[in-house]
Amino acid sequence: MPKCLVCYKWTLDEKDIKIKPADSSLDTARAKGKISDFDRNAIEEAALLVEKQGGAVHALTYGTSAVKQSLKDVLSRGPEKVYWIADASADAADACVTANVLAAAIRKLGSYDLILCGEGSSDVFNRQTAVRLAALLSLPCVTYVEKLSIEGDTVKATRKLDEGSEVATVKGPVVVSVLGQINKPRIPSLKQVLAASKKPNEEIKITDLGLKPESLQPKSVHRSVKGFVTKRKNIIYKESSAATNVAKLTSSLAAEGLR
Amino acid sequence: MAGIFVFSEDKALSEQLLTPALELKKTLSEPITALALTDADAKELAALGADKVVLLEAASSWTEGLSEAIYSIFSGAGGSVFLVGGTLRGKHVAAYVAAKLNAGMITDAKSLKIEGGKLVSTRLLYAGLALSEEEVTLPAVVTIPPRTFLAPSAATNAGTVETVKADSDTQVAISDVTPLGGSGVDVSAATRLVSVGRGFRKREDLKLAEDLAAVLKAELGCSRPVAEDEHWLPIDHYIGISGHTVKPELYLAVGISGQVQHVVGARESKVIVAVNSDEHAPIFEAADYGIVGDLYEVLPLLTAAVKK
Repeated sequence: MPKCLVCYKWTLDEKDIKIKPADSSLDTARAKGKISDFDRNAIEEAALLVEKQGGAVHALTYGTSAVKQSLKDVLSRGPEKVYWIADASADAADACVTANVLAAAIRKLGSYDLILCGEGSSDVFNRQTAVRLAALLSLPCVTYVEKLSIEGDTVKATRKLDEGSEVATVKGPVVVSVLGQINKPRIPSLKQVLAASKKPNEEIKITDLGLKPESLQPKSVHRSVKGFVTKRKNIIYKESSAATNVAKLTSSLAAEGLR
Repeated sequence: MAGIFVFSEDKALSEQLLTPALELKKTLSEPITALALTDADAKELAALGADKVVLLEAASSWTEGLSEAIYSIFSGAGGSVFLVGGTLRGKHVAAYVAAKLNAGMITDAKSLKIEGGKLVSTRLLYAGLALSEEEVTLPAVVTIPPRTFLAPSAATNAGTVETVKADSDTQVAISDVTPLGGSGVDVSAATRLVSVGRGFRKREDLKLAEDLAAVLKAELGCSRPVAEDEHWLPIDHYIGISGHTVKPELYLAVGISGQVQHVVGARESKVIVAVNSDEHAPIFEAADYGIVGDLYEVLPLLTAAVKK
């Protein structure tokens, strides 16, 4: 019966981020938090595995104090316990720092048969965390997985790559990163939401992880972040007659030399 | 610390990596070492400007399994910048090397240069909504997507080639290697595209888009759900953040709402046209021209009008 740990990130929902016209900077004032999209697939996959063959799912996250908002959400999706590290260092953390912190926390928590991550986070999409964790923990790593099974201590995973697919077979413990198509994350039922508030959460203090200051020093620093603005003509035909709209569009296409 | 290293398991991509490597060499004044997996690749890379090529002789052809061997070569030489071809396999290798070095890594760099002894690079955030400029302390690892750069022309002096035995990871066993069941259509090379989304109710209805594509002499593209959830089109038709990036002269999006994850793959098109029933769909913000209307009504009319 597999003991699983899912790492997830609490991110801003990019749908609510606006670009300020004045200076192309990002307006995140109305952006709500969410569990990063592919991390939800990782949580779902662990929950499905354990519902089918027993075992346990724990979740782990590292972020600013905002991660506290994620605890009930993640617990309503299947994990029986969530560990969280809330520290201001997360604000400027790059993938290097994030992996150092998560790996130190996993060492402290003990051994898991399966450590799951999403393919990449929906905000920065670095796609590094699973591989970095495995390298730091000296575990094998299987990335970009679209189908996963575990039998005894053997993990079998179908990977989807640029040019095709392949099956990786490996003895656990192993770190796996999953693709979005591996499953459809559940929308927690009322019962699951209510049950979530009774499940335990435990804070891990970053100071208890024995990390050297240099492990918390980001190697990659944002100099600037600007909204990606492309100027388009935005000429939209919306009369009630489809024929009129089509006639207007075809003359526009002709004017562009595209007929 | 010295040395600019390049690696990709994809021959064309490894040649493209030499272009930014040669550019970095001008500032860093450090030699370029290319890692190659075949003899033919090694000769080609040596001819295109790599000062030295290390030909990896490995027992297994599984690229990811060479991560530790590649890390040893790079760290043993005290390399300062490692450019890796941004395939998924390449990203796996790159992240491993970065972790072992406790180094920073830029995934999918759009540009890179050296400034003040640091590597400065741009990349996209929030599924393409924003562009970020980042500076990374050396040693730094960077992945570069295919076709970001053109391969350089032949160098005056060919580099040397050295063969090195490379250990493979024996923990992971690979089987059932299956090439992509694609249609052979390369949407990234198409000059015109009609792209379909979830506005279509069923697979058979894509005929409406095929008819329009035929009269426009366009290829068919699609959004992620059409390929990955519905399987209406093979995955190699998918345009978006984790699919193809296209730059046709005409991109006609039909029944695609226009989430940034899709638009990022199409926004370098010359002219973007959208047909959607929802006037407030974000695709219209990304479009030059648009029709608000039912695609089932609009497409036959448009096909007939273009045919005339």
